Amino acid sequence: MQGKIRAQLLKGTTTLLVLTVLRDGELYGYEIAQRIRERSGGAFVPSEGSLYPALHALESAGALQASWRDGDRGPRRRYYKITTAGLGLLDQHAQEWVAFSQGMGLAVEGAKR
Amino acid sequence: MTLNLLTLVAFVGGFLGLIALAIALVRRGELHLGPGQMPDDRIVQHADGAESIDVYLDRMAAEMRLPAGDTADIRAELLDHLADSIAALEAEGFDHQAAIREALGRLGPPVELGRQLRAAHQTTGRLFAGAGGGVLAAGGGFLLGYIGAAAAGFVVILVLALAASLVSRLGIPTPNLSTPDGNAVGNGLYLTFVLAAGAAVSMRFAVRVSAGLGRRSPRGAAVFWTVAGVIVFGSWAVFGIRGQQSWVGAVVAPAVPIAAAFGALYRIDRPMPHVGRWALVIAIGAIAILELGYGLLLSAGVTTSGATFEQGASQPDFHFDHAAPIAPAAWLPAGAIAGNDYSETGGIGHASSYFLAASPDQASQAPIPLTGVLAGWHDLRFEAWHAYPNWEPNSPIGVDTSYPSPFVIEPAIVNGDTLDAGFNFEKLRDGRDWWFFVTGVGPDGNRYRLSDGHGGWTPFNGSVWDWITAPQ
Repeated sequence: MQGKIRAQLLKGTTTLLVLTVLRDGELYGYEIAQRIRERSGGAFVPSEGSLYPALHALESAGALQASWRDGDRGPRRRYYKITTAGLGLLDQHAQEWVAFSQGMGLAVEGAKR
Repeated sequence: MTLNLLTLVAFVGGFLGLIALAIALVRRGELHLGPGQMPDDRIVQHADGAESIDVYLDRMAAEMRLPAGDTADIRAELLDHLADSIAALEAEGFDHQAAIREALGRLGPPVELGRQLRAAHQTTGRLFAGAGGGVLAAGGGFLLGYIGAAAAGFVVILVLALAASLVSRLGIPTPNLSTPDGNAVGNGLYLTFVLAAGAAVSMRFAVRVSAGLGRRSPRGAAVFWTVAGVIVFGSWAVFGIRGQQSWVGAVVAPAVPIAAAFGALYRIDRPMPHVGRWALVIAIGAIAILELGYGLLLSAGVTTSGATFEQGASQPDFHFDHAAPIAPAAWLPAGAIAGNDYSETGGIGHASSYFLAASPDQASQAPIPLTGVLAGWHDLRFEAWHAYPNWEPNSPIGVDTSYPSPFVIEPAIVNGDTLDAGFNFEKLRDGRDWWFFVTGVGPDGNRYRLSDGHGGWTPFNGSVWDWITAPQ
């Protein structure tokens, strides 16, 4: 039950999480999923099925730039880099999320009383 | 620099610019239609479970319906992801098969993943980019195919003319193709050939560019462009292009929309190799050939416009009596009809016979009332008769006696001192060589010719559809 609620809360935040971890540097898909898991202390584990459509949609929108490169010690991988437009989108999403979470926090606190 | 030269430079520059733009668009589109990335060999070389991964990715790819290059890139990216995921799961203690099942399960249903990836790629913006790019590429591709085929046809004609000249110098008779009919057939074949080539290249460029920029599969885009190409090029070939026509030209006209469909569909999944190189060479070479060729022809005194030809009525035996005997002098004073005229305006031929005073003072050429001259006559009309082709050296001249009746009859309309009628020879398939007369029924009830009439020739001028539907 707890996992289901978390998945529903996570729904719609993939874009924000992807842009957040890519702000620190280029990553490939699997790394992005791992980085999100690490940074959230395991609280957020993005669905791998929704990660790649989100990455490709952000690339189509010009928020990300993708390129195939040889890995440091591995095969060719598709790396994603955030663009200037992507940074603007990140700011926008972050502000919306803060406002949303604050409002939600107040509402939930009220429900506890 | 004169205005004409400036116009020519702008014209040629515009053409080359559009062709260059089309080539750039094709190259851009090919980036997405090419082979794409090679799959991750960590998975491919791993026989166990690779089959289930392939099945998963095949189902996903079928749902994506993206260009081959994009599909290959996504497959390679997901294989890379699966390799990492499977390795991590095995490190956690999963056996290999269980790790594959778990990794695939985390990606979710393949159909759903394919649908989401398609939505991520096939955005509205890319749809418009594909459509706009396809239209521009269609225009540039048509120009490239048209001028390339025109130059190739021009060279072939020059070679054939040279060969015919050599053969005739050896005393071997060659067919005379320099006839109006031969010209109409030759022009129709040549025009159909260059239009078909232009249509085929146009559609191929359009499909590849719209698929690449719009992130659609070429086969999907080809369906749209085939329908559009057949309608546009078919309408143009049958209804749009006007000029001399022939049955041969009418029969081969459908080759243009067929070529458009062929260009859009035939092996459309195959990448277009090295479009930038050969296309530019063809464009510049073709323009150079055509410009130099026309320059040489014009400097040799050859005109590219048609010539008109008329014959006077004073030559012996034009077989006018085949149409009707001349009116007896007692019923129509000599010189009453002083002349006939024919002119064409806006595609409509206008025939007229003008009358002069039948009096000793005829030199004054004062018009007389027609009622006096034509008293006792009725059913006055203009008749157009087939004439012998006047371009054949040993042909009879005048009215063609093999035709028993006129091919057009128009009532004569009294207009002041003239009789008028409207003809439209240029819309008559079989009316190129003609001779018209004014005839009428005299006091004895028989039909007579009122003058020697007027002869000339008017080539058919219209579309293929006009030719097919034209009256004889």
